[in-house]
Amino acid sequence: MRKVLVMAAVIAAASSMAPIASAHHSFAAFDMTAEKTITGVVKKVDWTNPHIWIWVDVTESSGATETYGFEGMTPNFLSRRGWTRSSMQPGMKVSVTFRPMKDGKPGGMFVSGTLPDGKVLTMRGGETGQ
Amino acid sequence: MMTRKRLVGALLVAAITAVASWTAVDAQGFKTKPPTPADWSALAKLPDFSGVWEAVTVGRGGGAGRAGGPPRGPQLTPAYAEKKRALEGRRAEDNETANCLPPGMPGIMGQPYPYEFMLTPGKVTIVGEAYMQVRHIYTDGRPMPTDPDPTFNGTSIGRWEGETLVVETGVFSDTTNMDRNTPHSDKMKIVERFRLTEPDRMTIETTVTDPEALTAPWTTTRTLARHRDWTTREYICEENNRNYVDAQGKAGISLKDSPAEKKEQE
Repeated sequence: MRKVLVMAAVIAAASSMAPIASAHHSFAAFDMTAEKTITGVVKKVDWTNPHIWIWVDVTESSGATETYGFEGMTPNFLSRRGWTRSSMQPGMKVSVTFRPMKDGKPGGMFVSGTLPDGKVLTMRGGETGQ
Repeated sequence: MMTRKRLVGALLVAAITAVASWTAVDAQGFKTKPPTPADWSALAKLPDFSGVWEAVTVGRGGGAGRAGGPPRGPQLTPAYAEKKRALEGRRAEDNETANCLPPGMPGIMGQPYPYEFMLTPGKVTIVGEAYMQVRHIYTDGRPMPTDPDPTFNGTSIGRWEGETLVVETGVFSDTTNMDRNTPHSDKMKIVERFRLTEPDRMTIETTVTDPEALTAPWTTTRTLARHRDWTTREYICEENNRNYVDAQGKAGISLKDSPAEKKEQE
């Protein structure tokens, strides 16, 4: 059986949790007091260290497409908590909740993502599956 | 075909290399004995530290990076308190780990990533997954070298006190910090006591002393859980690092060569 994906019952619950402290860098580049949600189509997933990056094409209200970049935890951390490199795949329509970048670049720190089948992926996990 | 000039050059390089390696061996000094079958069997009598361990609070929130962290910070001498104030005054948004430089000891043992322990005759090896760091702890009775080169993780000598592995580590690179914004002197020493409290639980009690920087020993305790179903993974920090901190301490994100940047150029 495929390992159970890390799920949260409610996005609100997931997004109100404190972020995982990162060994690698501080959160200074992100606005940790803000939270945004966008919907788009996954363009590419970098399943890489020291962080995964999920690139999502978003159609803005002007009609133009913007590619957003979302930084997640490491493949090391996530692969022990239900994620695989194909948990999010190019072409999937997803909504992503994130802490925006302070410098205004499109994207930010990944908080949670909802897949086409309604599954919610978070950066947390943990052995209790929280 | 090798010209005469090239041959002379090659011979010179070979000669210099030979001298350099001879010097290095001389500086390292301690020659290990080939392990005997009895040495290998003796390992079975030691506590079983084998396998992959991670701090128990990782993934459960509450600041994984400080898992089981210090009850209080290091007690600094006035001179080092002043150094800390000066560093804090820079208001750096991040430190060099954002640029993929490992933190060195003791920070490398406080990561929210696993550690793999390996016992071989006369040695304990700890692989820290974060930044793929390796600690070599010699338990073969050799003394602490008199004048080792300063390094990020220091030079470690270990001994078994009953069921506890006691590790003394010293001589650290002056580019690393004892704690956030807290430098150490060249006299910093770290003593770690590793022991099993349950079959799959380990505690590490870490005591930092530094006669120039600290007015009292700084002791912290961390609890690790063993995960028999885990392996350590590769961690190449430079693989796709988009985080950075610049010389002024400003943190940022680079989208260079990313799908987002390519989009901008279209």
